[in-house]
Amino acid sequence: MGDDRLLATFVELADTLIDDFDVIDFMHLLVERCVELLDIDAAGLLLADQRGHLRLIASSDAQVRWLELVQLQNDEGPCLEAFAAGDHVGHPDLRTAGERWPRFTVAALESGFVAVDALPMRLRGQVIGALNLFRSGTGDLPGTALSTARALVDVATIGLLQERSIRNQEILTEQLQIALNSRVVIEQAKGFLAHRLNMDMDSAFTVLRRYARAHNLKLAELCTAVVDRTIDAHTLASSAAIRRDQLSPGREGERLRPRAT
Amino acid sequence: MTLSPDGADRYARVRAWIEAQSGGADSAVSLAALCETASLRLGMGGAAVTVETSRGWAETRYSTGDMARRLVELQVTVGEGPCLDATRTGGPVLVSDLGSLSCQRRWPLFAPLATEAGVSALFALPLRVGSIRGGTLVLHRAVAGALSGGQLADALTFTELALRFLLDGHAGAVEDGADCLPLHDPQLHQATGMIAAQLDTGIDEALSRLRAHAFATRRPLADLAADVVARRVTFDPSEEAT
Repeated sequence: MGDDRLLATFVELADTLIDDFDVIDFMHLLVERCVELLDIDAAGLLLADQRGHLRLIASSDAQVRWLELVQLQNDEGPCLEAFAAGDHVGHPDLRTAGERWPRFTVAALESGFVAVDALPMRLRGQVIGALNLFRSGTGDLPGTALSTARALVDVATIGLLQERSIRNQEILTEQLQIALNSRVVIEQAKGFLAHRLNMDMDSAFTVLRRYARAHNLKLAELCTAVVDRTIDAHTLASSAAIRRDQLSPGREGERLRPRAT
Repeated sequence: MTLSPDGADRYARVRAWIEAQSGGADSAVSLAALCETASLRLGMGGAAVTVETSRGWAETRYSTGDMARRLVELQVTVGEGPCLDATRTGGPVLVSDLGSLSCQRRWPLFAPLATEAGVSALFALPLRVGSIRGGTLVLHRAVAGALSGGQLADALTFTELALRFLLDGHAGAVEDGADCLPLHDPQLHQATGMIAAQLDTGIDEALSRLRAHAFATRRPLADLAADVVARRVTFDPSEEAT
């Protein structure tokens, strides 16, 4: 990892935080940079809702198997443990982790991941979520990468809170719930577009994100407009300077890859 | 906040409270029983469920007393307040002390009038699943103070039940048992979006159709949603799912 690359990323993230920015898009940018900077294969950011579920808010990959892998961690796995302990939990070789996390290990190995790390997302002693990192090679995450990951997860917390000072628990709860609901709107719009434009969920998300960026819209606002039909699905596909062949439709069962941006 | 996989347990418990309040198991959740139970169990002075009118105004569907109804009306009249903010942002607005300086600044018209009427704390929880907008659950009490983590989780569970009640009333009753909706499952929401496109309906109608089909075929909602996303099940406007 080059220092220049690291610096450029933090400048990019800091720049985003200045304006009236889109939290969900910011979180996606952050997990994508995690994959590049930390030299890992996939990353996901999870927030805890008030009812005890870790929910995926942004991921570098949107394939079904990946989603299942993340969701499984509401029962067992490094993310759940990192969240509960408020500390880093990692495993350098999941082939020997079968006793600790029987179901998670099988699912991770099937998806081609051998090493995993999870870092808690903290705010003043309270844990509000976790960053999940996956690698296809064995070994511990190098110390420098771990430090960078910790810094990135702190930036994610700042992004979630936006410009508002967290005076109390109530504002934190409000922001968390807004972010979680935005995520649901996005999933609904992805499904809508996936059918209308006959594409997979990952491509639908790419279309939405590019259009939102090109037209300076917040993702959740755009997604609401899509499912409410105030914007036509085909307008999105044609006007965001996207040609269908530029999108990379993922194949079912294909090994997970970080999406190139 | 403590993380324990208690979503389903909490849901069952809250549902049992409401059933006890309405006088027996198996009876459908009514908004009246829901509001009364929420008010009682969360230590509130009152509760109301509002719905959004077609012009975007809040309208009280049920309230446990005059105060909750008046609080909603007041916000519509002065054009500001926690319920309106909750509707706009899609997130809860939790006000533990309406008399605080920050609240008086945030709602210069509403906050002094509400305080004068004897309300110190007000919690507005939007009835929302993504783009599905049902209205708000409004809780108020005379004593200032925040909801505990557990109370907040219960309040959100009441909110989910209220939304389901409104959805079922809207699209023909679907009683799909005591299971909580797998709202944390992205595929449920993706499937809902796909069905809305297939049937050319709103997201709320699409979710109702998905639930109805799961109930009719006795399948877990998450399994059916996965089949819809994988395009193994599609919904046809002229008939049921195939």
